Amino acid sequence: MTNLSPFDIQARPNRLLAQAISCVLFVVCIGLYMHTSVARHRENAEDRVVPSGHQLVAGIRSAVLEPAEEDDYIPADNASTWERLRHSMIWKDTASSGGRFFISLALLIPFVVLAVHIGLFPWFGAGFLRFFLFFDKIVALSLLPILFIAFGIDQWSKIALIVIGVAPTMILDVTQMVKAVPQEQIVKAFTLDANNFDVAYRVVFRQVLPQVINSLRLNLKPMMLFLFAGEMIAASDGLAYRIAIMRRHMGMDVILPYVLWVALLLFLIDFSLRMINRRLHPWFQA
Amino acid sequence: MVSGLRASEMAAGLPLFGEQARAVAEARVQAAKSISIEDVSVSYAVGRGARRSVLENITLEIEEGEFVVLLGETGCGKSTLLRMLLGQERPTAGQISVAGSRVERVDARSGYVPQRYSLFPDRTVLDNLMMGPLTSKFHILGRLRPSFWETRRAVKAEAFRQLAHMGLQASDAGKYPYQLSGGMQQRVAIAQALMMKNRVLLMDEAFSALDPSTRSSLQRLLRSVWSEARPTVVFVTHNTAEALFLGTRLIVLARESKDDACGSRVTLDMKLAEGGMTLRSHGQQFLDLVEHVEAVSNSDRRTISDHCGGKSSLVEPVRVSAVDGETP
Repeated sequence: MTNLSPFDIQARPNRLLAQAISCVLFVVCIGLYMHTSVARHRENAEDRVVPSGHQLVAGIRSAVLEPAEEDDYIPADNASTWERLRHSMIWKDTASSGGRFFISLALLIPFVVLAVHIGLFPWFGAGFLRFFLFFDKIVALSLLPILFIAFGIDQWSKIALIVIGVAPTMILDVTQMVKAVPQEQIVKAFTLDANNFDVAYRVVFRQVLPQVINSLRLNLKPMMLFLFAGEMIAASDGLAYRIAIMRRHMGMDVILPYVLWVALLLFLIDFSLRMINRRLHPWFQA
Repeated sequence: MVSGLRASEMAAGLPLFGEQARAVAEARVQAAKSISIEDVSVSYAVGRGARRSVLENITLEIEEGEFVVLLGETGCGKSTLLRMLLGQERPTAGQISVAGSRVERVDARSGYVPQRYSLFPDRTVLDNLMMGPLTSKFHILGRLRPSFWETRRAVKAEAFRQLAHMGLQASDAGKYPYQLSGGMQQRVAIAQALMMKNRVLLMDEAFSALDPSTRSSLQRLLRSVWSEARPTVVFVTHNTAEALFLGTRLIVLARESKDDACGSRVTLDMKLAEGGMTLRSHGQQFLDLVEHVEAVSNSDRRTISDHCGGKSSLVEPVRVSAVDGETP
């Protein structure tokens, strides 16, 4: 067999090599970070911009096992790790941001249902489609002051921001998916004595559901982006609030673990949705 | 019309007078004429007041149990006519009745087998087969009724029977459509339509995407299914040999002029005694007929009247006796 160059389109690395290659950039990033950190600490042992491994471990420890500064709770000396974790800064912030995130996610469901109707029922399409096409062009962040005035600075303004920011795009996306369902399928369903409800939910919705989940996966990051924007401007807790507070104290030893924690959470949600899709819709993988 | 009558009076056999009696008589005639197409024309706006005519003054009566093949070259409007029979499109002029009542929307009075996307990809073969009967008997909340499970068992047994009838294995029941070949998918699609026990079956180029051998076996299967239950079948194809093998009646649609204002008309309406005509069984007669039909469907203007307003000279009943033979 001829050896193909790695730059050849037809060259395929074997499984082991592919996994090794996929680790290279991670290793390079970690290596560069460590190199910079060591160099900076050589000049200034107290450097906080690029924390050392020890500083990072200390930062993670304080985030995971110690309460937030603003909390009055002081753990007893003999408190268990679980007890400390339950009252920790990262737990509190994750719960606050997670709550906002999942409430927004739940509020998107009616919009997905509306999108199915817009794509399927011409009267709905005539009524809603142009409105959402226009609404989609409004920059959601520009509405933030209005949302703060309307909903106050507590969690509902952030939830509204996420929903307003993501819903129009999802509606347009799902509408297109519904329109892409072959007309033959809809006609066939009616010839099988299906009524409008059956066609909408037992034929079309079932078929687009895996794509809706994929669309949701793609929207996870914009959702988190809107949440962070809201929390950074006005909040009393949350992951982005903590990052904003730590920025004032140059607390990179906490900021960096928080950034990685948020990325890990998003990765896990995305992975779970992917697994759910694969398990529930084996036909879609074909 | 039948729909306007009190069903209880008809069922009880009470004497009917005047308008009602006329409606019943009309309904009986309509029922014998499984499909009635009356002076149907279709045209579309193509910008700035111009219209493109697709079909022009189509009038057809299709009797119960006929196997009608609509033949014509691409773009002649045969699929448009089928979509109107389904209720998916409405004629610009004229009216269409199926099974005695006017077609206003797509409903369950006709079975439908399209060329592609004939099965629901998210359902297994068994679920595809059971969908129609279960949906027609139990809409969403009806599934909570205790009788649902009993009916489901009966429908499932019928689905397995249909599966075997179509030459498929019981082990195929759990497969998704993407796991089946094109021919197997169309077998399931036919079974799916038959599960509804419709008296009318509409098939749009159902075998066009299949390889010749699969196509041939499906043609034989369809002929045998039709021979057993004798539903009214309207089958759209552009393959003359397939049309002569399957149909008991051949209708050729052709455009008499390339002018946009001139739509397709019925240029040949021919009855074959029992269909099943093949080259091997009918030799030269088959070849002559193929040549004749193709000349008409290809709009051979030597034999078709020159201007679209005129009557076509080839609308004639040609009777050919035929016996079951091998597939072309």
